[in-house]
Amino acid sequence: MTRRVVSLSVVLLTVAATAPAQTIPIQTVPLVPADQFDIFPSYTLAMGGVSIALRDTLHDPFVNPAKGARVRAARFFASPTLYHVSRDAGAGRTLPLGVLGRAGSWFGGLAVALQQVDASHPPSRSLNTPLPFAATADPSANSVVPSPPNLSPAPDTHGNALAFALIGTTLPGSGVSLGGSVRWAKLRALDGVDLLYPGSARVNQYGETVDARLGLLKEWEGDRSFEAIVLHERFRMTHDVTFLDTFWNPGTQQFFQTPRLERNRDFSKRWGAQVKYERPLPEPGWRIGLLATANRTSQPNTPNTDLLNIPQDPGLSNAYELGVGVSRASGPALFGMDVVYQPIWSTTWAEAGAPTATSGGKVIPLGGRTIENGFHFSNVLFRLGFSHEVVQSVTRTVTLQLGFLVRSVHYNLAQRDFVEVATRRLEESWAEWTPTWGLSLRHPEFELRYRGRVSHGTDRLVPPSDVVFGVADARPIGFFPPSAPASTPSGVHVVTHQFSISLPLR
Amino acid sequence: MMTRIVRTAYLGLLVLATGCDGWTTPSGPPASLDAELRQSLSRWGTVPIGPTPVQPPALVDLGQALLFDKVLSGNRDIACATCHNPVTNAGDGLALAIGTGGSGLGPSRTLGPGRQFIPRNAPTLLNTGLGAPYLFWDGRVSNLGFGGGGGGAFQTPAGNQLPAGLPTLLAAQAMFPVMNRGEMRGVPGDHDRFGNPNELAEFADTDFVGLWQAVMQRLLAIPEYVSKFNTAFPGTPTSQLGFQHAATAIAAFETQALTRTDSPFDRYLQHDDAALTPEQKRGALLFFGDTARCASCHGGPLLGGQTFANAGVPQLGPGVGSGAPLDFGRGELFNQEFYRFAFRATPLRNVELTAPYMHDGAFPDLEAVLHHYNDVPRALREYDASQLPSALQPMYHGDGATLSAVLTNLDGRLTQPLRLSEVEISELVAFLKALTDPSARDLTSLIPVRVPSGLPVQE
Repeated sequence: MTRRVVSLSVVLLTVAATAPAQTIPIQTVPLVPADQFDIFPSYTLAMGGVSIALRDTLHDPFVNPAKGARVRAARFFASPTLYHVSRDAGAGRTLPLGVLGRAGSWFGGLAVALQQVDASHPPSRSLNTPLPFAATADPSANSVVPSPPNLSPAPDTHGNALAFALIGTTLPGSGVSLGGSVRWAKLRALDGVDLLYPGSARVNQYGETVDARLGLLKEWEGDRSFEAIVLHERFRMTHDVTFLDTFWNPGTQQFFQTPRLERNRDFSKRWGAQVKYERPLPEPGWRIGLLATANRTSQPNTPNTDLLNIPQDPGLSNAYELGVGVSRASGPALFGMDVVYQPIWSTTWAEAGAPTATSGGKVIPLGGRTIENGFHFSNVLFRLGFSHEVVQSVTRTVTLQLGFLVRSVHYNLAQRDFVEVATRRLEESWAEWTPTWGLSLRHPEFELRYRGRVSHGTDRLVPPSDVVFGVADARPIGFFPPSAPASTPSGVHVVTHQFSISLPLR
Repeated sequence: MMTRIVRTAYLGLLVLATGCDGWTTPSGPPASLDAELRQSLSRWGTVPIGPTPVQPPALVDLGQALLFDKVLSGNRDIACATCHNPVTNAGDGLALAIGTGGSGLGPSRTLGPGRQFIPRNAPTLLNTGLGAPYLFWDGRVSNLGFGGGGGGAFQTPAGNQLPAGLPTLLAAQAMFPVMNRGEMRGVPGDHDRFGNPNELAEFADTDFVGLWQAVMQRLLAIPEYVSKFNTAFPGTPTSQLGFQHAATAIAAFETQALTRTDSPFDRYLQHDDAALTPEQKRGALLFFGDTARCASCHGGPLLGGQTFANAGVPQLGPGVGSGAPLDFGRGELFNQEFYRFAFRATPLRNVELTAPYMHDGAFPDLEAVLHHYNDVPRALREYDASQLPSALQPMYHGDGATLSAVLTNLDGRLTQPLRLSEVEISELVAFLKALTDPSARDLTSLIPVRVPSGLPVQE
């Protein structure tokens, strides 16, 4: 059997979403990535995520473990985070707890998080209640087929667990800090994965992801710095998908359903590297940063969904990032701006699961390529943020933050279909807009922060709200069984709220 | 100054963002043929066929004997299998069937002296056991009767004379060919093949019960049938046996022997993407999509059998009832005038094997059918009767009044041309050929060597 097609985007998104940074997301359709793993506290995420020329001592250690060197005093943090996708298309809650601290030249941190992710859609109702094809020979059986077993997720919420550990040291007198970190997550639910399987009655997910990083930070006199990261990420998920297949039973002359289990595996490996250089500009308060990132992702196996678009197994992507950022601190005000260009090359293909006849009369042998896709992306990110201390006193500081993130995606696809002996070309583009905002209260005894963001310009596959069984035409005869509704991309926005508290440990 | 610039830029972007809600979603790369096709299949409820229940062997054995035995016909000269012959894939290969009095089998069968063609094509018996809600071209036997039949479940021409105990609609249908004078019963004054008076022809057309009893008397006069009936219905005394038991056995044989649902398309329905060729898949997309819209009649698990449509088929043959020499189809039935010239959209599995096509066999092959559907009004007006067998050409009703009457009531889905290209038509044909179960190509193993009456089986 020819392996069925999948959306490149969604799966890579979920992979990408498990890593906080330095991984470049790849999307071929604007399906929304929820902020499921954007859970650690940050100064600058409320400023549109500006990061190239702005320091974020709360968040930086989770990105580059060597930057834990900038943690001056031990502290405890908690940052409960909630997200919600409009149209009730998903939601999640996370409670991260952690400590960061240092002892002499050593620094380190530990964090754990518990997470609940809601199902992105209710279990398919469409095929669960077939109506009779016609009256049957047995009047007593002139009713609906026996109810299928209840296979809906119970409960609808699934839990993930994450752990993070960081250790590093500053080499005395050299201005060099080295660090390493590991992030591990036991995954039982990735947001939106259930939408990959329209018509399914249940999707059980299980797997894990590991992200290991080595970081370097070199700081010079004059507030210049250079940093580098090497990362490796492994992602393994299994989706056990239960479909209720509908059959026509000639014996009872009714529809009946039987469960069918389909096991799909979603594996990927990623290597990444990033270097960044920051320095002050001659004008007072101004800084500039330069950034370069490279990712290489291989996906030997990915889910077989009927959803959309692109064969994905296996595939290979090379993604790059070049960015420049500026910032300015002026009294109580802080401003930052990043511009990032992301050229990406991705190749995916599908393999024949059985000898497959082509339109040209040839036969593709088992394992031969049936489709090959070559993508070239030219994405641009623009981040803008502003922060202002509106109340400033000896004992407390209140800061307001605003930001904006614009992500423009553009790609060209050349698709070679070896079954239909055809070549297709496609050019696609869209933009995503994400306003952010934040409010913080800094006190000598604690620090409270709130940040929020809402993403626009993205979609989510949403089943139609009212599913009715079809009638062939307006005449009073000709009944058809209920059809599976087509989930269609619908515009949604994702709202994320994070409350964080940071307490110094003395 | 800097702060003002930043604030202005931010507010500008915010305004821009709020205006972006109505944007058009990029569709992304094209969906694969399979993804698109499976979505279309789902739309029309075309689901796989489950296994057919195994019929009791004794019942099947009895049914096989009855289907092939000419003793059921008034003149002892025609069996069910004469027009539903395994050699011709459980049909007869004729445009219009030839009933009692005829001779020969299959396309070479000829009319008997003084006889006329049966007004309609003999449909194949393949897959009749799957449970369509209507049987016969006009659907006069149906299980949407809501208590209209004698058993309380089926609607048939026999009304409350239909005996109870018929287990399926197919069994109910099997009660009626023996009633039809042209098909099996004969007309008053007929003599059977041995020169004996045809006693079945003497019953009034409304005396269903009397006729069915008479047929059973014939059967139970043959000891081998008594034995077979007693084996098939062990709990029923011989004195209680009626023709409904014979019909039940015939239906059981049809269900057991003639259910053929292992076509490439059936395998595709069961998630084997490689079962169809790309050309067949493209044809299926046309069939189930909005281009050809075939599935609006031929959808569902049986690929048809649920609806009636006036497809603008050329009028041909002696006609039926009050419409003769025209055939009003379902519109001839009581209170069904809306369906004038409408006929059952036949289930399409194995359609490749059952030419000629439509209710009167007006089209010799699938290509001709699809060219007709591509532009029905034009095709009807330009119908070339020379494609018909010479005996039928004088029976084509191509006069302007008839054409106008048919087109006036044409199904609304067919009034406009489909504008299918020749390539698309060939893809549709390729798909229709993917509905063939290879085992249905040769059914000759179903022909018994002999039948209990001793009458010849294949002549």
